[in-house]
Amino acid sequence: MRKTLALVLVALIAMFSVFANGGSESTSASSDTYTIGFIGPLTGDNANYGIRCSNAARLAIDEINAAGGIDGKQLALIAENSLGTVDGAIAAYEKLVYSDNVCAIIGPVFTSPALAVAQRCYEDGIVMISPSATHKDVTSVGDYVYRTVPSDSLQSEVAAHYFYEVLGYRNIACLYAMNDYSQGLATGVEEIFTELGGTVSAMETCMVGDKDFRTQLGVIANTDAEAIYIPNYTVEDAQILEQAYQLGMDLPFLSSDGFSDPEIYNLAGDFTDGVIYVGPAQAEASTLLADFQEAYSAAYDGDMPDSFATNAYDATYILAQAIDRAGSADRELINQEVKATNDFNGANGIINFAANGDMVASQGVYEVHGTTPVYLGSFQVVDGHIVQVD
Amino acid sequence: MTTLIQYLQYLLNGITLGAIYALIALGYTMVYGILKFINFAHGDILMVGAYAGLFIFTFLLGESTNAAWMLIAFFIAMLLSMAFCALLGMFIERVAYKPLRNANRLAPLLSAIGVSFILSNGAAWLFGAQSRRFPYPFDDTPISIAGLAITPHQILTVLVSVIMMVVLTVFVNKTRMGKAMRATSLDQSTSELMGIDVNKVISLTFAIGSALAAVGGILAAFDFRVYASMGTMTGLKAFVAAVIGGIGNIQGAMLGGLLLGILESIGAPLFGIPSALRDTIAFAALIIILLVKPDGILGKNEREKV
Repeated sequence: MRKTLALVLVALIAMFSVFANGGSESTSASSDTYTIGFIGPLTGDNANYGIRCSNAARLAIDEINAAGGIDGKQLALIAENSLGTVDGAIAAYEKLVYSDNVCAIIGPVFTSPALAVAQRCYEDGIVMISPSATHKDVTSVGDYVYRTVPSDSLQSEVAAHYFYEVLGYRNIACLYAMNDYSQGLATGVEEIFTELGGTVSAMETCMVGDKDFRTQLGVIANTDAEAIYIPNYTVEDAQILEQAYQLGMDLPFLSSDGFSDPEIYNLAGDFTDGVIYVGPAQAEASTLLADFQEAYSAAYDGDMPDSFATNAYDATYILAQAIDRAGSADRELINQEVKATNDFNGANGIINFAANGDMVASQGVYEVHGTTPVYLGSFQVVDGHIVQVD
Repeated sequence: MTTLIQYLQYLLNGITLGAIYALIALGYTMVYGILKFINFAHGDILMVGAYAGLFIFTFLLGESTNAAWMLIAFFIAMLLSMAFCALLGMFIERVAYKPLRNANRLAPLLSAIGVSFILSNGAAWLFGAQSRRFPYPFDDTPISIAGLAITPHQILTVLVSVIMMVVLTVFVNKTRMGKAMRATSLDQSTSELMGIDVNKVISLTFAIGSALAAVGGILAAFDFRVYASMGTMTGLKAFVAAVIGGIGNIQGAMLGGLLLGILESIGAPLFGIPSALRDTIAFAALIIILLVKPDGILGKNEREKV
């Protein structure tokens, strides 16, 4: 029994080493190849994210190579497994950068590995583009770090600018639940609204699951706030709207993408009229997106890409164009060219990078008429001012 | 001046909240008074009461928008829901607690926790996890008096609670059955020797407590909506109210409920504490009161008889 087990183990190890050798041989960097690294979870509970993102990157590379590559040189992708962990991502990073000598990295897929790898990319001076790490701190590590997914802070930035510049409020109050989502948005809006010169006269809090908000609303009623920002989930928002009405408050309410769940109209349909919220932008149906989805599905047995895979696809093209403009595998030149990306037209629409490497993306603003959200348009913050995109 | 009105407003909100806590606290305290047992399934009875009230009310209402009928239908629904919960309370006592009456003190407590899970998970499975509105049986436009805002449903809550508490007090103090209850709570075995049917008294206690929980559940549903786990936090707070007032003491439960509601509403702005910590204030109050007066505000300091 034990012998069999040992034999199986030996066989497995032998197989893995063969695969490992085969892998690195077929993609090893040579003078007529640009090699890009990918870091993401390829096994484990969250392997679906990593596999789809790497598939999308590989699809982009195959398309570019089929079209003749970059100035005659072929692109190659080495996908390394991060296991979804920080340790795994660092190990993958070290192999890609020091051993495989890749010229840039796509990934990591999750926030925590992305934060760790971003630090190393900054120190080693190599470009990384994450397709999916949304935490606002990922790009604050420094130069060389980019992403093709909107940062969590984008929503609060657009919201604060919209409230201040478009709606003309100078004094608002926030009432938010103590969870990552609501707290992140409320403190984000507070910070930017204050920077703009506005006043946040109350930051009232509640616990998730609270039902009585009369005290918090009473505190807000006692301030000079002109509007109340409630970036919560629907159950809390419904209670807040109704109880504000019962307290005779007629301040306008502002909210976040949590408000885009139609359940709010079942719970508080009588009180939603006039609420303005910032949520997902309604992108124009682009043929590039449909083409990508079709090509992906054809290449990977009918599997459909998720939005992160779409981001990875765009990231790969952005990188390829940067390498093309740089005309070399020099990591510093590639960084300059990625930074210089201007109106890249990808599957997700037009992409530009802000100074910190965040994707400049638009957010949608909605105004509820009765129980129907009306789209007011897509907005972006450009050079410290809000701009309507469409 | 604005601050004064503001604090009066907090007080008003606190009284409404406290009235609901008080109604539910009565169930805890009555059962404890008789059996020295904490019925942790009591909170879930209020949830069942809210669902029963909601279903009966919407059934009776049908398509009707007649104002008078709405109000009548509401009270019929409340009475039927009380009856239903009274039967349920007696049934639970018979099935889950009575067989354990002479067992280890922990056994009925665990049995109660079991019943609580069965009720709340059963409701989640039957009615779904979404919360539902309890429609107001009247136009609930807020009324503004001297800068204070109050809604008709808040007035109803306080009125119904006061009526229930008066009826209960009269019942316990003026009727034969009430006398039997008081006697049983003083000394169960002696009462039995005096010819009191203790089993009947215990059943009645559960019935009354559960019926009051049904009223509390329906009134709470106006503000909190109806959902499967609505009894957990409300029940826990009502239990705290019962302990603050002196568990086993009926007036104590009323006082405790009112105090807790007011403290929750007014505590955060008064002490300048973040509002998210309002429940923390309520439970901190419990600890302080227990440290100062372990028997609660109106609790009797019973000496162990030798």
